[in-house]
Amino acid sequence: MSQETVTPDERPGRDTMVEVRNLKTYYEQGGLFGGTPVKAVDGVSFDIERGETLGLVGESGCGKTTLGRTLLQLEEATAGEIRFDGVDVTTLSGEELYEWRQNAQMVFQDPESSLNDRMTIGEIIREPLDVHDWKTARERKQKVRDLLDTVGLKREHYYRYPHQFSGGQRQRIGIARTLALEPDFIVLDEPVSALDVSVQAEIINLLEDLQDEFGLTYLFIAHDLSVVRHICDRVAVMYLGHIMEIGPTEELFSDPANPYTQSLLSAIPEPDPTSTKQRFTLRGTPPNPRYPPEGCPFATRCPVRIRPPEYEHLDEEVWEGIGTLREVLRERERAERTVRERIGELLGRESRFKSLDETYDELFGDVAVPEDVQSVLDDVADLVENDDEAAALALLAEEFASVCDGHADGSGGFDEDDEPIQPEYHSVSVSGRKSFCHRHAEAYREPDDVLDERHG
Amino acid sequence: MSEVSGPTTDEANGPADSGVDRSLRERIRSNPRPALLWAAGALFLVALEFGRLLDGVLVFGQAIVFVIEGFASLPPYIGGNVEGVVAGVAGDTPGLLVGALAHDGTLLAVMFVVATLLQGYLPVRLDDVLGREMSRRRRIYGERLALTAILGAVAFALIYTPVGSIVDTEVGAWVTGVGILSDLPTLTSRELIPNLGHRTPGGGWEGTFMGLSPAWAWAIRNVLVWIYAFVCLAWVWRGYNVYRTYYREADWTPRDDTVKRFRNHYWGMFGLIIVFAFVVLAAFAPAISPVPADANIYEPYNHEFEYLNDDGEIETVYQGRANLLSESDGQGTVGPMSYDDFDRWMPLGTTPDGESMTTNLAYGARTSLIIALSAVGFGALIAIMLSLLSAYYRGLLDIIVVFTSDTIISIPVLVLVMMLVVIFQQSEHWLAEPLDGGVLLAIILGFAYWPGMWRSIRGPSLQVAEEEWVDAAKTYGQTPRKIMRKHMAPYIMSYIMIYASLLLGGIIITVSALSFLGLGITEPTPEWGRLISDGRPYIGTDSYHVSTIAGIVIALVVLAFNALGDGIRDAIDPEADVDGGDAGATAGGGGG
Ligand code: SF4
Repeated sequence: MSQETVTPDERPGRDTMVEVRNLKTYYEQGGLFGGTPVKAVDGVSFDIERGETLGLVGESGCGKTTLGRTLLQLEEATAGEIRFDGVDVTTLSGEELYEWRQNAQMVFQDPESSLNDRMTIGEIIREPLDVHDWKTARERKQKVRDLLDTVGLKREHYYRYPHQFSGGQRQRIGIARTLALEPDFIVLDEPVSALDVSVQAEIINLLEDLQDEFGLTYLFIAHDLSVVRHICDRVAVMYLGHIMEIGPTEELFSDPANPYTQSLLSAIPEPDPTSTKQRFTLRGTPPNPRYPPEGCPFATRCPVRIRPPEYEHLDEEVWEGIGTLREVLRERERAERTVRERIGELLGRESRFKSLDETYDELFGDVAVPEDVQSVLDDVADLVENDDEAAALALLAEEFASVCDGHADGSGGFDEDDEPIQPEYHSVSVSGRKSFCHRHAEAYREPDDVLDERHG
Repeated sequence: MSEVSGPTTDEANGPADSGVDRSLRERIRSNPRPALLWAAGALFLVALEFGRLLDGVLVFGQAIVFVIEGFASLPPYIGGNVEGVVAGVAGDTPGLLVGALAHDGTLLAVMFVVATLLQGYLPVRLDDVLGREMSRRRRIYGERLALTAILGAVAFALIYTPVGSIVDTEVGAWVTGVGILSDLPTLTSRELIPNLGHRTPGGGWEGTFMGLSPAWAWAIRNVLVWIYAFVCLAWVWRGYNVYRTYYREADWTPRDDTVKRFRNHYWGMFGLIIVFAFVVLAAFAPAISPVPADANIYEPYNHEFEYLNDDGEIETVYQGRANLLSESDGQGTVGPMSYDDFDRWMPLGTTPDGESMTTNLAYGARTSLIIALSAVGFGALIAIMLSLLSAYYRGLLDIIVVFTSDTIISIPVLVLVMMLVVIFQQSEHWLAEPLDGGVLLAIILGFAYWPGMWRSIRGPSLQVAEEEWVDAAKTYGQTPRKIMRKHMAPYIMSYIMIYASLLLGGIIITVSALSFLGLGITEPTPEWGRLISDGRPYIGTDSYHVSTIAGIVIALVVLAFNALGDGIRDAIDPEADVDGGDAGATAGGGGG
């Protein structure tokens, strides 16, 4: 799938701790019977420096939690490498995996669910030490009490139960547990999103203090961008299993390069009222990760998607209609028809696959559709009438698809066998920030320009 | 950060939270008084019934021997079969050789399974013993193998050397010793308060407790039994409280709330008391029976007793003969609270066979309890293990379990059980022998009911497998077995307890129904269902008491088990936490 040859995140002269290369995690759902897997993580590559905090942001369902879990080997990677200090942990198993686990731990999102509430706080924090046979039982207890101290709880809390603590305190207990084995690397999976706003800051400060004290390296998964901006050194923005943009936090927030980052950031209210940054809303929802778009993952919602030159100035609404139509057709193509439905259709009975009239009404009813577009739409409708969604889709693609949809540019031709083209990572700043978008290539205009023009 | 909102934050309250780690023994040593007081009381209670306790130990020992013998018969069985097959193909000598190998191989395999189970409890670690570093996996397997070797050596020594017979003699001597000790008089023994005796021509009684009438002697002994039993219960409860107040490190645990909720649950408490009474009835059956079971039921023609006949003479008669003349079969009736013609006291009348109803009921409680408990225990074991494994591993295993349990569930339980019972009883399988089919029935019922139990805990176990603490345990490398035991099993335990107590009632009914149909427990082992069916023809006569009493007792016990299940459910129901307001969590949490 992924064709990039450039390592997207390579900065020489740094002390790299984690190197992720072309990592894919697919969920086979439906168990035994194969089926199309969910592509939760679909080819990501990045590095994490020792001692830094890398933020991982994106809408829910974008695969960021799966990515974090795969790094810790809670999920099995489908392909690719995860190298910790040079060792590919995806190949570890048994004893080696058990030994390695000491180095990488996780703080979980939900403090209600992350602590076994039948165990005392002491037992909870001590368990990792027990598992790894750390020193003697007495020393372990001592260490647990020290850890309670470290995370700002009382040493006497050893024999309390999770029930007796508030959400913030429970999260501190979870943090103490992750620290027990003195790991180098910690995945923080939305560690404060379940907490009251007043408590969030305390936990964030604690995490920062611990990082300084123990020289920890964090992967901070979040959807709250303001928290990320506060704590992270660098940020990776994820969409539909891909990293869309990755780079230093401040730069990325103040001057986002990738259209998806721009959309995401424009959704947070600007604290500064004098800001001139334009606001626009991201339309639609992310596509089903089981059937992601073929080219750029963001193509179905991108506000600055590259268009075929002949249709460049088509109305925004018409484009939206065409986009939705494509989704509808793809949906119909996937939907399996039962035998009964097929027979019913042969007999000329109405099926749940109605003709496109209604859909057209909804999409283009009150929009002025130019002549040439309308004729294509009519052809599409004809094909659908004959139950040939595939051909209809091909026709749509031939007319309206662009490089963003994975088609070789300008050719206009459509060849089933062609590997869809994906964007490449382009360096977008001197700091080495990378963005996954065609628009950074010479041939196209930069996203900012287009955004101003189309939505300004 | 909000302060801990648990029940007590009072640092001066007991030894908890002192910040110093002390073992339980050290904690007791520093404040021995409450523990000693309680232990003295407990010792006194034990001493009162020491003989009966030893009796229990002996019975338990027999049960264990039975199980071990079952397993021990496996290697010879497999060895013999293999020998037969190979001898048929390749001649006698290779047959003998391969058979012996198969025998020893099976033996070692059994030992390895045992060693795997025991390995976690080893007092020393292999790397310490050998004095060198080894990886975890190698250490664990090394320990298992070493343990297998030791067990194997012991087994071989027992089988092939004179050590075996020495041990046998030794064990035999111990058993005899315990047997003699178990004859020590106890507070509630028949010897101390005898109620069997005969009327003297002078109008008094001979042989009974202080010359009282058998009815009074029996009543006194029974009152003692019930007082003793409830004092014991209270003392156990007191022990729990002593521990909680003086020695437990945590000053609050989630279980405290559960116990508290259960104590305020009257319906559940009612169930608990009746169930406890049922257990006491079973445990103290010999003391509660006015006539001992082996004399009255099992070997009535080996036991004689004296009575004052109508002619004013002391005459000797067999229990069996007396039974024949005391039948409650419509024609003659010995009703509740009366003496039969031989001056035997019958508090609940006689059965249609002339036996004592009370004796039958008490020993029948034993039968029902043993069958119900072992069936539920056996079924629950399968259900828990399969649900843990299938929830943890999912995939193919899950599908297989779903398929198997659905298949079993699709056959009506009674039909399935009847089918299996008939098959085993017809073939006179050795399993059908103990308890006149009781053990067989327990195994069959356990097999028939595990899919139901599995279903009742499937949801909870799938749910608990999704909890983040399970993932957390994986991230620090906890073994799957321990994850299932520590992080999953405790959560499904409560659900299985609810279902098990409901099921216990159901199984008692099923066993009764089978016995009623003549399929369950055969004569002479007493069983409630058979009492009902035996008494059924006379329900319209004076002898209506047989079916009626047995029916009422069954209904009451089943009801009580249901009440107990309800009580447990309400006590562990997390919803109740909210109302109780005791758990006091979430001061700043749970936002989303
Ligand atoms: S590649 Fe095309 S669709 Fe994807 S972000 Fe860039 S402009 Fe948008």
